[in-house]
Amino acid sequence: MRTTQAADTAERGAVGGPAIEVAGLRQRYGSFEAVRGISFEVPQGELFALLGTNGAGKTTTMEVLEGFTRASDGMVRVLGLDPMKERRALRPRIGIMLQEAGFFGDLTVAETVDVWRGMSADAGRQPVKEDVLELVGLANKARTRVRQLSGGQKRRLDLALAVLSRPEVLFLDEPTTGMDPEARQATWEVIRGLKERGTTVLLTTHYLEEAERLADRLAIMHEGVIHTYGTVDEVVATTGDQITFRLPRPAEPPFLDGAAPVSERGHVVYTLRGEAHPALRALLAWADEMELTLERLEVRRGTLEDAFLRVVEDKR
Amino acid sequence: MRTDVLHAVRLARMDLKLLGRNTTAVFNVLLLPLLFAWMLSQGGSESFILTGMPGVLLAFAVFMNLVNSFTARREELVLKRLRGGQGSAVAIFGGAGLAALAVFVLQVALLVVWIDRTGGGLPENVPMMLVAAVLGVAVFGLLAAAFSGITPNAELAQVAVLPVLIVALVGSPLVIPLSEMPFAVRLVPTTPIVEMMRMGYGGGSWAAALPWIGALLAWLVVAGLLAKWLFRWDPRHG
Repeated sequence: MRTTQAADTAERGAVGGPAIEVAGLRQRYGSFEAVRGISFEVPQGELFALLGTNGAGKTTTMEVLEGFTRASDGMVRVLGLDPMKERRALRPRIGIMLQEAGFFGDLTVAETVDVWRGMSADAGRQPVKEDVLELVGLANKARTRVRQLSGGQKRRLDLALAVLSRPEVLFLDEPTTGMDPEARQATWEVIRGLKERGTTVLLTTHYLEEAERLADRLAIMHEGVIHTYGTVDEVVATTGDQITFRLPRPAEPPFLDGAAPVSERGHVVYTLRGEAHPALRALLAWADEMELTLERLEVRRGTLEDAFLRVVEDKR
Repeated sequence: MRTDVLHAVRLARMDLKLLGRNTTAVFNVLLLPLLFAWMLSQGGSESFILTGMPGVLLAFAVFMNLVNSFTARREELVLKRLRGGQGSAVAIFGGAGLAALAVFVLQVALLVVWIDRTGGGLPENVPMMLVAAVLGVAVFGLLAAAFSGITPNAELAQVAVLPVLIVALVGSPLVIPLSEMPFAVRLVPTTPIVEMMRMGYGGGSWAAALPWIGALLAWLVVAGLLAKWLFRWDPRHG
């Protein structure tokens, strides 16, 4: 009877449904509401990035999905399972890299990996065959006591432990914080490799570049609410193109397509709502009329950073 | 279930390895209690006190050590890592308990050698002593989990355990026989251990030990509930 039930539970997550489902999630701590009703889905094999400022509710969302905290309200499913109630069935199939967690400082790096490898094997997972320390670039530190590692090295060991059990869903909470640029590149490689093997990844970060390079889809979260959601291109498309130039002499540039000029010491920036083409025509017509030659005229498409800053600044 | 057992054994082995690497901990957990036993045994009938000693050692070695370790590991976010790993809560507690049991059994074995050398002979009912050890470690392990929940940091752990240690020392029939002590002594959780260890040593019957086993099972429920209410995986926020 128990085995049938277990097989049933395992099967539910295996069918083609989304790997992660969040619907109307709310999380309160006393009178403070850290997450205020968010919803999103992550299809199997995709990488989803949660972007946001500190305190946006990213980690809280992760902790609910990882089964650390019970949601105050709303529904969450990982591989079709309730992370809290069906923890036993779910746990062997996911990998977690927490934002911050301690190690056993007196164990060596290799011993730490051995314990975790053993724990995965005990839980019936086939641990990765290759040397995970090689994978994360810590092979030369294998015999070092963990307490002697630098912050960035500990972060890499963290990653090694999270991927050891070949998880179907991997949670990465700010995985590259504290890493130098080289280690960050290496980590991105590891994450890309996992994605190629079909791992679903939920990633939080405040490095926009990280999200831009890795994510299939992303959400920008601020004060417990998701403000923008979609593929990187879709999110970037919500920010208009930018026109910048320098005025050769003082003048009053016009509104373009409803966008006001932001001018500082002769340097003018427009953030447009729509396409740059008609706005540019109007701008040049104005310049001709004023007999001005605009210097260093530039048209730039919106970036993820623009989208991010707009969300954060709108709310201030 | 099987996974929990495998995980607990693996974590216990790791704990013992870590203990071996920490000289201060080896001294505090293993040798200090024995030194303490020696001091106490000078004040009365040596073999009577020594045969009851495991009950008090439990409070000093197992309880104190586990409150320390749970609190330090919570503050260093090691508990959080363990809980984010493959092991369940049962496996994590089981591992800590198994390691503590191994250390405790070693201490009792050292005591047995000591008692034998001083002319007290060898124990007659080892299984009874083992039952007492397992139940005792379970009760005090859970009490330690509960106490770690109300201990803000590892430095204060020494202070937080003090009341329990005093009760264990004064309130158990270690030096004075149970028959000459007030009834309330029977309610102290170390008393059943002291009595069962002595009975095990002297060849007491299982029938006579039954009430004590019952008392330990009752304590197990109480300690389990306290641990459920008070134990915390995460450091206090803010």
